[in-house]
Amino acid sequence: MHRFLYSPIGLLAALVGEAATSFSPVLLLFGFAVVATGPTLIISRMIAPRRTSNPVKFLPMDAGQVPKGEGRTHFMMQYYAFVLMFVVFDVMSIFLYAWGSSISSLPKSATLPIIGFLAVMFAAFAYALYQAGRKDIW
Amino acid sequence: MSTIAPEFRLSRFIASLVDIIFWILLIFTIVGLPIVFIMLFYIKLPVINGQLLTPYLALTWLADPSRTIPIIKSFIHSTFFRVAVFPGFGFAALLAAATIFVERKFLAKMQLRVGPLYCGKIEGILQLMGDGLKLMSKEIIIPAKADKPIFWIGPLLFVGTAGAFVSLIPVAPGWVVANPNVGLLAVFATIGFFPIIVVLSAWAANSKWTFIGGLRALHQMISFEIPLILSLLSIVILSGTLNLSQIVESQKHYWWIVFTPISAIVFFITIIAELERIPFDLPEAESEIVAGWLTEFSGMMYGLIQLGTYLKLYAFAGLFTVLFLGGWNGPMVWPPFPTDIITNGITIGPITAKFPGLPLFDQEMLNGTLWFVIKTVGVILVILLPRGVFPRIRIDMLLHTGWYKWIGLAFVNIFIALGLLYAGVLGPGGLIQ
Repeated sequence: MHRFLYSPIGLLAALVGEAATSFSPVLLLFGFAVVATGPTLIISRMIAPRRTSNPVKFLPMDAGQVPKGEGRTHFMMQYYAFVLMFVVFDVMSIFLYAWGSSISSLPKSATLPIIGFLAVMFAAFAYALYQAGRKDIW
Repeated sequence: MSTIAPEFRLSRFIASLVDIIFWILLIFTIVGLPIVFIMLFYIKLPVINGQLLTPYLALTWLADPSRTIPIIKSFIHSTFFRVAVFPGFGFAALLAAATIFVERKFLAKMQLRVGPLYCGKIEGILQLMGDGLKLMSKEIIIPAKADKPIFWIGPLLFVGTAGAFVSLIPVAPGWVVANPNVGLLAVFATIGFFPIIVVLSAWAANSKWTFIGGLRALHQMISFEIPLILSLLSIVILSGTLNLSQIVESQKHYWWIVFTPISAIVFFITIIAELERIPFDLPEAESEIVAGWLTEFSGMMYGLIQLGTYLKLYAFAGLFTVLFLGGWNGPMVWPPFPTDIITNGITIGPITAKFPGLPLFDQEMLNGTLWFVIKTVGVILVILLPRGVFPRIRIDMLLHTGWYKWIGLAFVNIFIALGLLYAGVLGPGGLIQ
């Protein structure tokens, strides 16, 4: 009669709920840290002096001078290559974890494709580093 | 000159007081009590001595000593206690505060200075409290062109994310706030939020120095995140799990630093870089770019960022202990709780007081916490040490070493771990169990 309650969707929901329960204390501690330290900002706003003596006070810091121009300026692209490389190789290193955590249950022959994968990634890595080191293109 | 306003009437003053009390009682009755009763439906009440602990029974804990210790014990094993007090925020904040004071005295001794001295009778021990009060009484100045909402929540997000990182560190057997199966990946996910928060608050302040500092922090953190992740892969290969508690249990006989010293060195250097400490403190380089991405933070906002930084320091030191130094494992040095008190109670003269429910904490937990704290404090001291010794390095040197050297070194120990596993030295069925 109540068989629809035990459908695989319900099982999936239970598994998702289990995973969420194991992670929920992380969010709880995040929330607790914010709730516990947030009032210090409010108390500080209540007891600290608030004077608007002159408008220069609210300008951004520029070592005692009146700042010129925008704060959000443009920069050279010199180190941008490293940010691009991060996008690729961070994912690669997390992929290696999928292999590393299950290595004891895998046959030893499964390591060879990973070595091949690493070889491909090393070649790409070397080329990316060579391009990142070139001073004339950035 | 009058101290009391000329229009003052005592009757009106008392009437206003009565008025305030009336409104408080009214609001509490109409809003507060229903909220309490609605919440009681959703809170799982503990069973103490075979009775459901209703709020009325909870209030009688002082009158009935047989219920006192079981109530305290049930509170200690609740999620709120874990989040707020012991392995969570309170414990970490206490260690973080101690770290700030120890750092100042330690660096002062290294540089033949005295350090904080006058605040508090003994060696300036109250300096931290004084600093906290000072920061709280300082004015918070928000730059006129700043992106105000993001600028306000930046420090709170930083502290909250550091707290989320702390929640994943196991302190004693069974004493961890969050224990997911993929704890190590959760750690990486939490670390990944820090550059975003830094860049957000640096962008929101709309100042040149914060922007330069924020970009430096972004480059530094993402460059060192890959060696950090790769250096821990050898631990995962050797222990075969991603759960941090199980990684600690796998080091019962020998610490992983014995087999993966190169990983330990790479990981240690990357955590110094992730923490923005000297010699990698480019994002906050005070002699180059005023205070980096912290330039526009004033008063308690700066204090919260500092608290978050030291929480992060504790969490990273704890992670190093958990992964390489065996976590809570160590010889049993904590004395067992005297069984005499459990069975007979304490007898003073004619009175015998019995305490059902003792001991509050079991011996293994106290011993594990002791060893974890000893190792973590040691790691924290070694992290503090370079600040008194080294100069700052340049950004291009930093990126160069990060991308060319540390990533290569991180791979070396992966192959060593693979060799140990496949040569049958470690792992299931290996020579060393």
